[in-house]
Amino acid sequence: MKIELNVNGKDYSIEIEEHLRLIDLLRDKLNLTGTKEGCGEGECGACTVIMDGRIVNSCLVMAFQAHKSKIITIEGVEDEDIKNAFIEEGAVQCGFCTPGMILAAKSLLDKNENPSEQDIREAISGNLCRCTGYNKIVSAIKKAAEIKRGGRNV
Amino acid sequence: MFEFIGKNIKRIDAKDKVEGKAIYPQDIYIEGMLYGFTVRSKFPHAFIKVDVSEAEKVDGVVKVFTYKDVPGKNHHGVVLKDHEVFISKKVKRIGDPIAFVVAKSKEIAEYAASLVKVEYDILPAVFDPEEAMRENSPKVHDKDNVFYHFKIRKGDVEKAFKECDVIVENVYKVPMVDHAFLQPEAGVSYIDEDGKIVVIASTQYPHFDQEEIAQALGVSKDLVKVLTPAVGGAFGGREDITLQIHLAIAAFTLKRPVKAVYSREESFIAHSKRHAMKMYYKTGATKDGKLLALEAKIIGDSGAYASWSMNVLRKAAVHATGPYVVENVKIDSFAVYTNNPFTGAMRGFGATQVPIAYEQQMDILARKLGLSPIEIRLKNCFKEGSETATGQILEKVALEKCIEELKRF
Repeated sequence: MKIELNVNGKDYSIEIEEHLRLIDLLRDKLNLTGTKEGCGEGECGACTVIMDGRIVNSCLVMAFQAHKSKIITIEGVEDEDIKNAFIEEGAVQCGFCTPGMILAAKSLLDKNENPSEQDIREAISGNLCRCTGYNKIVSAIKKAAEIKRGGRNV
Repeated sequence: MFEFIGKNIKRIDAKDKVEGKAIYPQDIYIEGMLYGFTVRSKFPHAFIKVDVSEAEKVDGVVKVFTYKDVPGKNHHGVVLKDHEVFISKKVKRIGDPIAFVVAKSKEIAEYAASLVKVEYDILPAVFDPEEAMRENSPKVHDKDNVFYHFKIRKGDVEKAFKECDVIVENVYKVPMVDHAFLQPEAGVSYIDEDGKIVVIASTQYPHFDQEEIAQALGVSKDLVKVLTPAVGGAFGGREDITLQIHLAIAAFTLKRPVKAVYSREESFIAHSKRHAMKMYYKTGATKDGKLLALEAKIIGDSGAYASWSMNVLRKAAVHATGPYVVENVKIDSFAVYTNNPFTGAMRGFGATQVPIAYEQQMDILARKLGLSPIEIRLKNCFKEGSETATGQILEKVALEKCIEELKRF
């Protein structure tokens, strides 16, 4: 079957197998390997992408369900504030959860530029990290929000 | 004064990681590469007979590898070579690798793996290390299941316990733990333009892997190149070989690139765990709270393979008194084979399990003596020049100050 979708601002019309998952389409067919597979069952959030403005686990979305949708993967995140904040706060260790964390952070900050710590922790509650213990990720998102509000310069 | 100490340093690889550009082995795609899928034991202890003929007939399957296809030595292991690359006769745990199906796609490999016939002649198994220590228990490796016993002896515990005003005796158990690093095992192997066998895998030990791969291939070490790209967490769980040798044998035999990626479930089954330990503790003190004697027996469940068990159980014993001065000490730690998942390195390497025992002993002693948990610790903690149970004289000890700080809470 053929689907049409927009990924990171680029339009695709692509032939897919019916059993293909969105994560396989992104990684195997579109070469967007920044989207990671950590569990394949929607527990870890490493495969998080933004689909029509909402975060989804791309391992739980079938490729055909993405027909006519707009997808943003880590490769399409232009927001340097979040990425810089993650680097500066030491929120990146092994890096396997990082793309998903950044997309979850972006999804939050797109809607709320002044999130409370509770809002941040809730926003990343679908994303597992085994290295940092989360605190530095929370600080990074706080910092990114501050920068966005013009509170501090990087 | 210092270039790095006390300064906020940006990780060298952080930029690639925040942009999704860091390459983990699963992110490597090579034109014309094949995919491997591992057939694993479904039973913890059994003799096996393997028939791969049906699986090899599947369209798209290139070859099914078993122990017969290991060109060199069919073994590996970080200390003892007690793992087989592929099981030849007897599986010793659920998940032991039996065959590696290599096919044109992952789906074909996985399907064909379901057609590999494994006949199991099931043997009695042992899952409790204490039971495994008994003479009449099933033998995991056809020899005594106890393969390591470490002793610490200091002073005279028997005499010292007689002088104690209070003695606390308890048994503590801690379970196995999985590292659950976020990136499941994955790897790619191919022959490069110089004819070298390249294995790209997330590993903690490229130099160990190189040696083990070379032995299994029956080639000299300089023909094997192990490359470590980004590693998605490890915590000790990538110290033992998982898919490195399987991939190398397939690429070496077929002269084509081969890739394998474990699912989360297979990752849990394939790699080591933190040691479950059973800890018998007897701690005695005088009525003013001074520790006089400590006796401990620590039994570590090594599961089906030794991995780092000797080192882990040695470390557990060395740390068994905790950071406290005890004049009379008797500690015995054991590493024991069972048919459980094998256990190896995980953050702390044996030092992580014992605190739950020695610290609870301190709290219980304190309560019995009417002391506060802080008082009893200050009375016994390591100080400048203290001697540990193993005879080490300590320098630059700030523990007393740390405990004093806790008074505020």
